[in-house]
Amino acid sequence: MRRLKTGFVRGVTYLLFALCLSIDASAGYPLTADSKPQAGVPKGTVTQHRWEKSRVYPGTVRDYWVYVPAQYDQSKPACLMVFQDGRGYVNAKGHSRVPTVFDNLIHQKAMPVTIGVFVNPGTIPPARAGAKSRSNRSFEYDSLGDRYATFLIDEFLPEVTRDFNLVEDAQARGIVGISSGGICAFTAAWERPDYFGKVISYIGSFTNIRGGHVYPALIRKTEPKPIRVFLQDGENDLDNLHGHWPLANRQMAAALNFAKYDYRFEMGDGGHSGEHGGSLLPEMLRWLWRDYPAQNQGEDK
Amino acid sequence: MIVGRFFMLLAVGMTLLLGAQLCDAQDMPLTQVLIEGEDWQSLSKGHKFTDGLTCDAEGNLYFSDVAGGTTINRLGHDGKVTVVVKDAPRISGMHFGPDGRIYACQGGSFGRIVAFDLKTGDRDVIAENVKPNDLVVTSDGHVFFTETSKMQVSHVPPGGKVKAADVAGKDGGPQRPNGIALTPDQGTLAVSDHGGRYTWVWRLDKDNRLSLRQPYITLRTPNADSPSKGDGMTTDSVGRYYVTSAVGLQMFDPTGRMGGVIASPSQKPIVSVAFAGPGHQYLYVAAGDEIYRRKTKASGVRAGQPESK
Repeated sequence: MRRLKTGFVRGVTYLLFALCLSIDASAGYPLTADSKPQAGVPKGTVTQHRWEKSRVYPGTVRDYWVYVPAQYDQSKPACLMVFQDGRGYVNAKGHSRVPTVFDNLIHQKAMPVTIGVFVNPGTIPPARAGAKSRSNRSFEYDSLGDRYATFLIDEFLPEVTRDFNLVEDAQARGIVGISSGGICAFTAAWERPDYFGKVISYIGSFTNIRGGHVYPALIRKTEPKPIRVFLQDGENDLDNLHGHWPLANRQMAAALNFAKYDYRFEMGDGGHSGEHGGSLLPEMLRWLWRDYPAQNQGEDK
Repeated sequence: MIVGRFFMLLAVGMTLLLGAQLCDAQDMPLTQVLIEGEDWQSLSKGHKFTDGLTCDAEGNLYFSDVAGGTTINRLGHDGKVTVVVKDAPRISGMHFGPDGRIYACQGGSFGRIVAFDLKTGDRDVIAENVKPNDLVVTSDGHVFFTETSKMQVSHVPPGGKVKAADVAGKDGGPQRPNGIALTPDQGTLAVSDHGGRYTWVWRLDKDNRLSLRQPYITLRTPNADSPSKGDGMTTDSVGRYYVTSAVGLQMFDPTGRMGGVIASPSQKPIVSVAFAGPGHQYLYVAAGDEIYRRKTKASGVRAGQPESK
């Protein structure tokens, strides 16, 4: 009897748990048709790999995924977008479902044929019995400066995109991230606007985790860089020891506005989650790529 | 009841969903460590320049007076100071080894690492002709110490000879290596830089080699172009790092993000820090002629020492 009851309670518990997960995933900012598989739309391929030979971050290992659209043609140069915390973006059930969004928007010619690279932050595996692996995420993502950009541009991307025909133009390359990955994406473009011309930040940590709160001040007093930026945040985002995310993102937007950047800022009412950003992603991509030659596979401009 | 459970689960579910994907490390503000109303208390004064803080398994604190003293002193739970080693001047860094001895840096004209057996009174010189500042001992008895003026971290294996574990260059590594600490899992060694703005970390490899040096922790500095004066270090049981510095006692989470700066007890520079006291729950600092402590919500690790049962 008791056992039966326990089993029942456990069953109800699991059911409710599953229910609340599904409620949360669909509340507030639902995914649109552009983020769901559509009949008749060719599907690209996603492959998973591991990077273990970083020179910039010695000893780190990280997983990465590469998406190749069905429309990719080796004889024509394609565009490139790089996603930090890649696992969350490539996940077919995640906040953004990028491969599906790319399939749909490329099919609609709303964005050019684009290779997607999804890369996780590094971890340093332990070398002694009983030791744990050490996360390198904050060091890589929250630090200002050109170290992460150097990692991407000088060592990682040339090798993982070696077999692809890519457009050699900053406006043909975008970089995307969420939270610390958001400021990381901005930092990479800020440091190397010659390489990355497009940025998407979800709930970006433009706060003082490792000094990133200074960007609004830097943006206002720096000759504008040729970066197109889409920022997303929510009124209920974090307010903690590092800073206040909604205020920080407002400061970023105001600074980008003051310095006359080509930017957009969407402030929703969500918290520190990828839900709003994920729901907006098709719109973000349409906006970022709005004037890029889309009829073809990225004719060199 | 079912309704209550539903809302509880809803809350749990939301939290998991929101939190799981993004945060690979918990935020660690100072409020996780400090206790409201618990300030620094002076426990021992009248010294010249206290240093070398470390503790034993019972939580007794040990310290030296590097400028004026010739003894190693124990500060017990009762607040009483007892001399445990005589005739040991110029001690600047100490740590218990797994053999129960105190390993100590003896600087100045001595230039050596000495292991003191408190029970027998025996002392062994385990490294000579060195310029040691501070040290740690791993649970398998390997001594790592900083040689500030040589920009070097040095290593003495148990019963072996001293050798350089890593030497900084002008382009990287601590320019004035000073404090030294191990993470609780002993997988990472950290060294503060008195002359720079980072605390550097290495992976401690299976063969006790240091590898993969990184400027993992950025310290707050008094001015943009002045160094951190990073000095004594310790870690706690969840892997936070504590570094004494020009602006106070800086605390960092296990991923290297600053948690905050704990105010120094006085205007005198703090140069050494350790967890000791009941439950190893008190932070102790050496501030010039005085030793202070304050109660915390954290607790220290006893790296290099057999756990007391």
